[in-house]
Amino acid sequence: MHDPLLSIEGLRTAYGPIEVLHGVDLIVNEGEIVSLVGANGAGKTTLMRCISGVQPVKAGAIRLAGEDLTRRPDHARAGLGIAHSPEGRQIFGDLSVAENLRLGGYHRTDDLGADLEEVYGLFPILRDKAALPAGGLSGGQQQMLAIGRAIMGRPKLMLLDEPSMGLAPVLVDQVLAVVKSLRDRGVTLLMVEQNAYAALSIADRGYVMEQGEITLSGAASELIADPRIREAYLGA
Amino acid sequence: MSELLQFLVSGLTVGAIYAAIALGFTLIYNASGVVNFAQGEFVVIGGMTAAALIGAGVPVWIAAPLAVVAGMLVGVALYRAAIRPAREAPLVSLIIITIGASIFLRGAMQAVFDKQIHRYDGFSGDAPLRVGGATILPQSLWIIGGSIAVFAFLAWFLNRTRAGRGIKATASNRMAAALVGINTGRAMNLSFALSAAIGALAGVLATPVTFTSYDVGVLMALKGFSATMLGGVGSPLGALAGGLLIGLIEAMTAGYISSDYKDASAFVVILLVLFLRPQGLFGARITERV
Repeated sequence: MHDPLLSIEGLRTAYGPIEVLHGVDLIVNEGEIVSLVGANGAGKTTLMRCISGVQPVKAGAIRLAGEDLTRRPDHARAGLGIAHSPEGRQIFGDLSVAENLRLGGYHRTDDLGADLEEVYGLFPILRDKAALPAGGLSGGQQQMLAIGRAIMGRPKLMLLDEPSMGLAPVLVDQVLAVVKSLRDRGVTLLMVEQNAYAALSIADRGYVMEQGEITLSGAASELIADPRIREAYLGA
Repeated sequence: MSELLQFLVSGLTVGAIYAAIALGFTLIYNASGVVNFAQGEFVVIGGMTAAALIGAGVPVWIAAPLAVVAGMLVGVALYRAAIRPAREAPLVSLIIITIGASIFLRGAMQAVFDKQIHRYDGFSGDAPLRVGGATILPQSLWIIGGSIAVFAFLAWFLNRTRAGRGIKATASNRMAAALVGINTGRAMNLSFALSAAIGALAGVLATPVTFTSYDVGVLMALKGFSATMLGGVGSPLGALAGGLLIGLIEAMTAGYISSDYKDASAFVVILLVLFLRPQGLFGARITERV
């Protein structure tokens, strides 16, 4: 059988002595949008940080298209095809918007011009502010910048942590539309969202995480309909 | 009039040395957020190494580059032995580590070299040139030219090269830099190496004019730091302008008031900057949104 694009087996990690992921298994197939939902503190962001390498792994394995990433340093992973738009956006605040976007393509050696145009096409406000320091953007604009920076890496797998955080409702729809359009362009996405309904509504599959473990998984349409999910995360 | 011209010349010469030290500060600050108080020691290592080699009969055109390399190696050693092991520590701890390193290096230089004052001949001789009533040592031109060359190199390096952009990004947000594929450890290593080389170069160029001994680094670091504050922390253009201005202010103070107050003038400038314009002349006001 074809290897999944991302496969995680038995992943454990800890902050100091406190273990926060207790053996997570998760798979993302090529071309999918997979949403990871769960309460605050469930370990969703930590899982994303393990995949991009900024959080060290204690046990288990992370494979990208079959290749073991677990011991690869964080800075090597962008070049292998992982782009991470992290929680809290983590933009380069004192550099210009255009510099931020170009840094998203740091590991690439080809011309970035076309991708820059693409990002400006998706988020026209970034073109207007291209020369300004990114730290002066509004929260929503910084969120677009973080997603745009991830696009510039031309990844195989994009990790989006709370892409709708701090956005006005109209912008949430815009960002979700961008996420769908990325999938149409061949990018595989793993997305963490507080807004579980929005996240599952555009996803193919979903995982529910509680206290450092996966407690439920399945097709996104089934999860949306599942009474346990509706009660816990969809406010229904 | 010729008096003013003479003060200008000596102010620019000393200022160019401060500018080179300030550029070294700027580079490490840009990569790590650390103000490296051992920066003055690199200047002394450059000057003392060159003096020892020239004293042993090595021609200056070999001794000067060797002294710069020596400074660079000490810079890398400082990063690997003292800064990198503590990289998770708060910034203030790292800054205190550099103060400790500066004390250690001063002691080491006493042991490796000696406690004497050293100088060697200027690169183009010591016969002063006369320009409009003022005299200029040919070495002054070397110093001023060297600082401008270092500035031009850094401006090009940080903005136009991949490694330089990596250093800027690492300084701005280390986690984000790692996420986009920048090897932040290598960026830090490189910035310490370059910064130390710049400091050592300043020492090599300055020693024929200012003389050197194992303990002049502290004052050099403080003057360079004043220049950095005046110009705006993190800005190469600010470092250059701040250095030259501090040199000029010192020369004018010494010439028109009293040379007793020469060193004090730099510190009065720091205080004024901190009170009136904390971001300096060219520093950006950084706004963060949360």
